[in-house]
Amino acid sequence: MTDLIPTKDANHTGAATGTSAAQGGAKYNDKNEKYEAMFRSAEMSLVEMFIPYEIARAVAYKLGDLGLIQFRDLNTKIRAFQRHFVDDIKKLDNIERQYQYFLTLLDQYGIDLHDLHLDPAYDDQFNGSDGTLHFSSVPNAGDIDELANTANVLENKLVEMVDGLKNLKSQKNELEQNRAVLHKGDEFFSSLAAGSSGFDLSGADSNGGSSNFVTGCLPRDKIGVVEQILWRVLRGNLYFHSMEIEQPSYDSKTDSFVAKNFFIIYTHGEVIMNRVYKVIESLDGNIYPVPSVSLERSLNLQKINNQLTDLNILLENTKSLLIQELTLVSTTLNHSYETVVKEKQVYTVMNLWQYDAENSGTTLVAEGWVPTDEIEYLTNVLISGGSGNVSDDGRTFSSFSNDVTPGSSSSSGNTNTNANVNSSTSHNPQSNIIVNVISTNKTPPTFHRTNKFTQAFQDICDCYGTAQYREVNAGLPTIVTFPFMFAIMFGDMGHGFLMFLAALMLVLYEGKIGKMKRDEIFDMAFGGRYILLFMGLFSMYTGFLYNDCFSKSLTFFQSGWHWVTIGGSGDGNGNGALIVVGEQNENIYPFGLDYLWHGTETGLLFSNSYKMKLSILMGFIHMTYSYMFSLVNHLHFKSMIDIIGNFIPGLIFMQSIFGYLSVCIVYKWSIDWIKDKREAPGLLNMLINMFLSPGNIDAELYPNQSSVQIWLLLLALICVPSLLLIKPIHFKIMENKKNKLNHGMSLGNGESRDNEEGELLLGDEQQNVANVDNDDDDEENSHGNETFGDVMIHQVIHTIEFCLNCVSHTASYLRLWALSLAHAQLSEVLWTMTIDIGFKSQSVFMIFILFALWFVLTVAVLVVMEGTSAMLHSLRLHWVESMSKFFVGEGLPYLPFKFEIEDLA
Amino acid sequence: MASSFYTVVIVFLVVALINTIAWFLAPKKGGNTTVFRSTFILALSMMYLMWAITYLAQLHPLVVPRRSDLRPEFVE
Repeated sequence: MTDLIPTKDANHTGAATGTSAAQGGAKYNDKNEKYEAMFRSAEMSLVEMFIPYEIARAVAYKLGDLGLIQFRDLNTKIRAFQRHFVDDIKKLDNIERQYQYFLTLLDQYGIDLHDLHLDPAYDDQFNGSDGTLHFSSVPNAGDIDELANTANVLENKLVEMVDGLKNLKSQKNELEQNRAVLHKGDEFFSSLAAGSSGFDLSGADSNGGSSNFVTGCLPRDKIGVVEQILWRVLRGNLYFHSMEIEQPSYDSKTDSFVAKNFFIIYTHGEVIMNRVYKVIESLDGNIYPVPSVSLERSLNLQKINNQLTDLNILLENTKSLLIQELTLVSTTLNHSYETVVKEKQVYTVMNLWQYDAENSGTTLVAEGWVPTDEIEYLTNVLISGGSGNVSDDGRTFSSFSNDVTPGSSSSSGNTNTNANVNSSTSHNPQSNIIVNVISTNKTPPTFHRTNKFTQAFQDICDCYGTAQYREVNAGLPTIVTFPFMFAIMFGDMGHGFLMFLAALMLVLYEGKIGKMKRDEIFDMAFGGRYILLFMGLFSMYTGFLYNDCFSKSLTFFQSGWHWVTIGGSGDGNGNGALIVVGEQNENIYPFGLDYLWHGTETGLLFSNSYKMKLSILMGFIHMTYSYMFSLVNHLHFKSMIDIIGNFIPGLIFMQSIFGYLSVCIVYKWSIDWIKDKREAPGLLNMLINMFLSPGNIDAELYPNQSSVQIWLLLLALICVPSLLLIKPIHFKIMENKKNKLNHGMSLGNGESRDNEEGELLLGDEQQNVANVDNDDDDEENSHGNETFGDVMIHQVIHTIEFCLNCVSHTASYLRLWALSLAHAQLSEVLWTMTIDIGFKSQSVFMIFILFALWFVLTVAVLVVMEGTSAMLHSLRLHWVESMSKFFVGEGLPYLPFKFEIEDLA
Repeated sequence: MASSFYTVVIVFLVVALINTIAWFLAPKKGGNTTVFRSTFILALSMMYLMWAITYLAQLHPLVVPRRSDLRPEFVE
């Protein structure tokens, strides 16, 4: 607590002398210049920092709050246990273990932890009501020692108390059992005295004074066994009697209650008696003497009762003392746990830093990735420091540690001197941090800046693979395409509305729910609340287009059809039914599917064809859209050969087959086949015939169709070899050119043989240099040298995959058709099976019951279950059908060092 | 009827116009410009596509609605 004052002083002097530091402080919240980093990941730079040893911990704390830098491990050559701060981590591990022990005790005694998140002051401290970052306090080494001491003392104390409690409990059990045995024995002997049994045992007692019977208790399930064994051991020479003890007794070994029986065994002879003792003891029996004289029995009983009362008082006292102690612990446990966890994370990170031995151990070297546009901010924060906040939070920290240990102040005295040394040796240590940007050929990590809205969508894509550094982020279009593809399968205004409402609740109360403890499934729904919101909204839109609301249609606009009677038994008086067919009006139903189709015999036929074509068209457009991102990627990475050798042939191949199919679908719709009195061609057969018998047309769609199709087919066929060969050939040419260049150089020198050797040497040397640069982490290496064979194999696989995928992926989009039909049919079936019956019965009670059934099933089956299935299908369409068109996904995720504090649990 | 096909084209032009306007009206501050543009334009485009496909499918359907359970009072 006390050392914070000199630190603050040091900062003040720093601010007075170095004006640059003060200016840096003013720039803290200037974050507007940042690149959005959603379309592409943010640019990253490798930064090297030299941090004076004495402020390294403070700096690490600040970096943990900032969460901007992903440290590289500079000590890969040092074994884990040889690292510099291993001892500190071990110490903290021990404290953590002790805290876990306290937590189990708290759980055992049902004492709730003081939850930090319910404390408004806590949230202010971390999130800052004004949105600025508050730096956490840096506990000095003494504080941590104090925590360790407190935990040690507390642990010893608690262990002692718990042991004592256990001891007392087992004593109490003994006594209680003894009492129960005495009671039963009393019962037994009094029944003997009453002479209810004709068995004479009274003489037994007078035989030499020593008793020839054993009493005690046994677990109930072992009574039979004991009796059998004794029977055999004593050859039937005994009398065994047992009675049930009503109250089960506590077994401290297994921590459970066991039903027991009282027993009394009559036999004679000391040897035999000893055998009986042994048998009973080996079978978990307890032996308690019961005097046969009734006066002695009651005296014994009284003695035991007295002991029990004393014991009970002692037990209660110990317990209340323990609970008192634990309650005290519970108020501060979370807070001190947080301190310990932070400290541990700090040391774990500091273990990644290089301890610069050359500099006589006064400097630590850290290296890590920082978003390029945040380097200035980072440097400013590090050099000027957030001193004001440190002192504020330091207060809360120190007051906390006072709570735990009111007495111990010796350690804080130590740190005081420590801090004084600090401030005297280096005037303003914080300004001694040197931050350098170093150039490297290592692959930077991929960092997309997300917010609470985009996070869930980004997670969907990151689940599949982390995007390559600076490649187009699949997460951006996913924001719309994912919920929309879902909605095509889930289209129903009512179901969409239910989903929308549920998601809206999660979104509106996200502040409150965010602080709640959530179970796994609910947490998943909460995490994806914005996805759910969009899914609900788009489902309402597609439901509107399908004209489905809980399987009923709505009549918003004037229908494009009118009925024409062609038969039936209508008598004109409103009886009977008519057979009618539709005839098209002048107008087309302007928005969505005509409600007139609902309930017709041909309705399914129509919606079937409509939804199939819809899914093919949407699928084709979705794939083409995704494929365009590969062009954007190639342009960004300036790889012309990928455009010519991969993108263009692929595009032509796809367009000349499935693009043509899509155009034909739309063209076929635009022709009035019935009016023209022509046979409408089946497009599926057309496409198949285009390959199987080129030039043959069954039914003509448009003039010159056969020649167009032949040309398209040829175009597609040409694309296959160009897809296969252009890139490898280009690679070969480039390689030859490079070799020729090298060769030419060597000829120019005139010493071809020597030079070749020299070149080899040079190559080796270069390789060595590269090795030195990269030896500590192989995964981060840039790509090694590719050979022609690699390129060729890769391209062959790519070609086969692409051509096959064009077909299979288009077919895969037919799931949109299947699922949307299934969803519509299922909701219609549910309607007719439940609520429709209710309406037909015309009884209020039936309607009431069946409505409840319908609604529950709608939510459970149609919204939750069907929704989950449609979501998984949509997920697949994104991961496989869409992302395979452009996504490389071999990037490294950006994991900056940031404090992660979870409550003890 | 032929004019119906042009409805799709006209709506396309309107949607394209709205999208262009949205591109320029996207909030520049707050670091969400790209997200706004992408989300708005993509959503509107997909909604347009969905509508257009539904509309086109009903231009000249090859099947006509037919039912044999209609009570006479529903025939207009």
